[in-house]
Amino acid sequence: MSELINELPPASVQAQLLQVAEAQSVPAWMSSLRLAGAREWRAAAWPDRRTELWKYTPLAALRNRQFQHASLSQPAWSATQALNVDAIRLVFVNGVFDASASSPGHAAVVRFSDADAQQQALIARHLGHVATTTRHLFASLSNALVADGVLVHVAPDTALDKPVHIVHVAVPQAEPVVVSPRLLVVLEAQAELELIEQFVSDTQEQNGFVNSLTEIHCGAGAQLRHYRINLEQEHMLHVGGVHVDLWRDAHYRGFTLAEGSALKRIDYQINHQAAGASAALDGIYLPRNRQLLDYHTNVEHKAPHCTTSETFRGIVADDARAVFNGRIHIHPQAQKTLAELNNRTLLTSDRAQIDTKPELEIYADDVKCAHGATVSQLDPTAQFYLRSRGLSAIQARSMLSFGFINELLQAIEQPAVREHLHAHLQGLFAEALPGTVTNP
Amino acid sequence: MSEQVESLIRKDYSAGFHTQIESDTLRPGLDEEVVRFISAKKEEPEWLLEWRLKAFRAWQEMEEPTWAHVSYPLVDFQALSYYSAPRSMANKPKSLDEVDPELLATYAKLGIPLHEQEALAGVAVDAVFDSVSVVTTYRAKLEEAGVIFCPISEAVHRFPELVKKYLGSVVPQKDNFYAALNSAVFSDGSFVYIPKEVRCPMELSTYFRINEVKTGQFERTLIVADEGSHVSYLEGCTAPMRDENQLHAAVVELVALDDAQIKYSTVQNWYPGDKEGKGGIYNFVTKRGLCHRNARISWTQVETGSAITWKYPSCILKGDNSVGEFYSVALTNNLQQADTGTKMIHIGKNTRSTIVAKGISAGRSQSAYRGLVRINAGAEGARNYTQCDSLLIGDRCGAHTFPYIESRNASAVIEHEATTSKVSDDQLFLCQQRGLDAEKAVSMIVNGFCREVFKELPMEFAVEAGKLLEVSLEGSVG
Amino acid sequence: MLEIRNLSARVEGNDILRQLSLSIRPGEVHAIMGPNGAGKSTLGNVLAGRPGYEVTGGEVLFHGKDLLAMEIEERAREGVFLAFQYPVEIPGVSNMEFLKAAVDARRRHLGLGELSSFDFMKLARDAAKRVNLDQAFLKRGVNEGFSGGEKKRNEILQMMLLEPSLCILDETDSGLDIDALQVVAAGVNAMRDGQRSFIVVTHYQRLLDYIVPDHVHVLAAGRIARSGSKELALELEAKGYSWLEDEGV
Repeated sequence: MSELINELPPASVQAQLLQVAEAQSVPAWMSSLRLAGAREWRAAAWPDRRTELWKYTPLAALRNRQFQHASLSQPAWSATQALNVDAIRLVFVNGVFDASASSPGHAAVVRFSDADAQQQALIARHLGHVATTTRHLFASLSNALVADGVLVHVAPDTALDKPVHIVHVAVPQAEPVVVSPRLLVVLEAQAELELIEQFVSDTQEQNGFVNSLTEIHCGAGAQLRHYRINLEQEHMLHVGGVHVDLWRDAHYRGFTLAEGSALKRIDYQINHQAAGASAALDGIYLPRNRQLLDYHTNVEHKAPHCTTSETFRGIVADDARAVFNGRIHIHPQAQKTLAELNNRTLLTSDRAQIDTKPELEIYADDVKCAHGATVSQLDPTAQFYLRSRGLSAIQARSMLSFGFINELLQAIEQPAVREHLHAHLQGLFAEALPGTVTNP
Repeated sequence: MSEQVESLIRKDYSAGFHTQIESDTLRPGLDEEVVRFISAKKEEPEWLLEWRLKAFRAWQEMEEPTWAHVSYPLVDFQALSYYSAPRSMANKPKSLDEVDPELLATYAKLGIPLHEQEALAGVAVDAVFDSVSVVTTYRAKLEEAGVIFCPISEAVHRFPELVKKYLGSVVPQKDNFYAALNSAVFSDGSFVYIPKEVRCPMELSTYFRINEVKTGQFERTLIVADEGSHVSYLEGCTAPMRDENQLHAAVVELVALDDAQIKYSTVQNWYPGDKEGKGGIYNFVTKRGLCHRNARISWTQVETGSAITWKYPSCILKGDNSVGEFYSVALTNNLQQADTGTKMIHIGKNTRSTIVAKGISAGRSQSAYRGLVRINAGAEGARNYTQCDSLLIGDRCGAHTFPYIESRNASAVIEHEATTSKVSDDQLFLCQQRGLDAEKAVSMIVNGFCREVFKELPMEFAVEAGKLLEVSLEGSVG
Repeated sequence: MLEIRNLSARVEGNDILRQLSLSIRPGEVHAIMGPNGAGKSTLGNVLAGRPGYEVTGGEVLFHGKDLLAMEIEERAREGVFLAFQYPVEIPGVSNMEFLKAAVDARRRHLGLGELSSFDFMKLARDAAKRVNLDQAFLKRGVNEGFSGGEKKRNEILQMMLLEPSLCILDETDSGLDIDALQVVAAGVNAMRDGQRSFIVVTHYQRLLDYIVPDHVHVLAAGRIARSGSKELALELEAKGYSWLEDEGV
């Protein structure tokens, strides 16, 4: 790998992160994916404002940090906000597996490092094949850095009796670390799974960088309910990607929620690979203070009779910035597609910013597609109405903010997730929202 | 139905004839000498030559933009000629009687009679043929009202202060690649000035015609509406059918001072190329208006022609309470490609903008809406409403929507909606069952789809636009 | 006026009509009844020429002409009118504009001149009144945002203006309340003039209380299983359709 690094400017972020890869020791069966990833990462042009996919999101926060690979010893960590749910749980602290905080093992869930030959073959077949790097630069970095990860494999016609819950805890270390969580989900035909991915940190000021990549293969008729919740401390840098392949009649139902940070970018890439597949994705983004939060979603309709429904809502407070880009691409063969995307944003401060771009690219005619986007503030009439009934201005704003996203929260089927977020957000809205909105 | 639809979209381009006329055409190629030649030919003052040269030097440093959703072989700018004028125009005819009858016949054939007694009542026309303005009708009547409507080459001499003050004030020389090119080599175009509190007594119109082979057309239009004035302006365009692609890189600048209103309508019917995509105009146009306090600029466009359309008529809503509007129908057929839309830049308080864009794709064409709505931090109370609808006819075309929404002010309200639909089998069957033929049925459905835009056009042109769509779609259903 | 001989038709690869024969004379009202899936709607759609309905055999003569050889709009101009089971919405195209174009096309075909806008408007307003539709509906997009009943009344309005010689009502009664049903029936009855013929496709006998048929046919498995007078409809109402199968038809 060293010859790859040599061709890059030594101080560049690209070179810096490849040096981390070089310092890792990994099993030989992963080396070809790592090398391919490193090549792509090196060859890719570094994004700037003229790069369409990074137009509104500067990567400056990555610069000037000497990232290390997380040490293999167990870092100390204190209380987390991890969700309390009866589940098959795996906890990682700065990428290092914490057996004491995790539940006992389960046959369907294995770490790459514990995989037997058959599982290694399965991993090799899918890992790096669901994810595409064309629209997700950091997937190639993840490939370059892949060392361990989690495989969830559900056999045909099987449903796990408990959700799988994967928790990534970030804690600050003396030197900033880069953590590369990797998750591979393989659902065989008619398999069913409920999956919760949670990113948390302790409350100390963080200095790390998480580059996470989740790959999901839903075989024919498979069904996945997927929650991805991103509530780290605001100095944590996070770039994440979720790539989903849906085969015949497979169904993916996703929910994602994130607060912002110095840099937070989350990509969803959903591919309808065969007829009859359907995907529904709900998202909530809540940046505040000086945070940045960028969601990019891309749905590729490559087969006929597939359905997509996407709803994203965000509340941007203080000096925060949010970016939403939702693309739906209907290929010529994808007749009878139904696709809908809806994005609504509230700005609760005069300094808050939103850049949104719902995109439709359509090459088939017998389709029904629509998208909508709105940007507005809390309705002054509604605020007035609540206050005239005796609520304080803050109560009114908190209530209305909550109301704006509550529909998506209520649609969460997993009670533990719903209640956890409900409580968290109520706290957030009650504490936040300083008097930046002018009273009517 | 697809096959039925496909076979309906076939029709000849009726404006595709060539006028046999002797022209003085400059050698192909572009360098400083060419810029100086054009400036000298127009006997321009020194400042304008310098202005052109500055643009030319900037252009040399710039790259052709590639971000639009269109693909075509890059233009060889050195293979084009940058100036062509009918020889008979060399000695500037003083009146219509002195204009070459061939030229008048050309416009008559296009349905644009230039004799005032035959012309559309209430519409003054500036006819631009290749690089020069042939004639401007009703000038006397307009001047009575204080309205200036003349070729821009003439305005440079007669109203140098106005031209100097406003030229490039909305679209600077270095704005983009094509605007820079236009600034360097623009040949002619229209200049309009409406004095304070004057309501222009008639519709103003410019008709552009490209005739000569391998000639680029680079007209420049500048419209200044002084405080409290009103004007409605229409442009039309056609070109002969040729196998080679021709370049049209125009710049239009609108200035609406306090309380002024400008309505700018375009019916664009440049030659779109043949059914195999051979030939046709490359239409790379920069149109922008600047609104001062309480001013309103309204762009209405019906785009049916050109092989490639790259065009984003925009409004800078600088003044408080100013209003920007964009109503567009873009129809592509065969192998045409259009990437068009608008930019609404909200700077002033309580500024409002409305965007209604209708794209119709047929044949193997690609039609994209690309729009930007930007609310700056100071644009307290700004409002935008955007509606983009695409209609697909046949299963080999594409329809795309790329709206950029950037908000920096919490009190702004932005709404964007987009839908895609097709002319459904059921709609077609219903119309046919009631006795309409498929062609009439499609044109009726398409016209219904475009209604919101057509109602923004001046009456006579709304009818023309409807017919134009019908013609452009002919052969799209069997 | 209409002669259907051994008509067979296929939809999406399934044979729906199997050698159906039916003869209709001027002025007659024929009711076509039958269980779901018997091919009732198919018959109307085939006669009107709906794409996707493939004729695999037989012939249809309409006023002595080969109906099946005609384009959809030719059939319409010749006087075939199909009132749709599910009327289609055409956004942006006003009802008035649509109706005028259709009436003009029919009149041109008959060698009559086009109506002036004024005369047409008057006709359209009268017709709207007769089917109890507000004038405002004439200006709205074709069926755009109309309720189910309004759409069906709009179909009858079109029928009145086009003055066809053969009216095919495809389950026009479905989804109508009794008031709307009476309005529709009154519209139809007003058009019975001894020359104009009707094919009334329905699942329920109820409509036939208001539009009294001369003949009732029961369609099963793609052909006419039984024909009779209006009493047959009452018998069907009482017994349901299953007895047809019991009789081994």
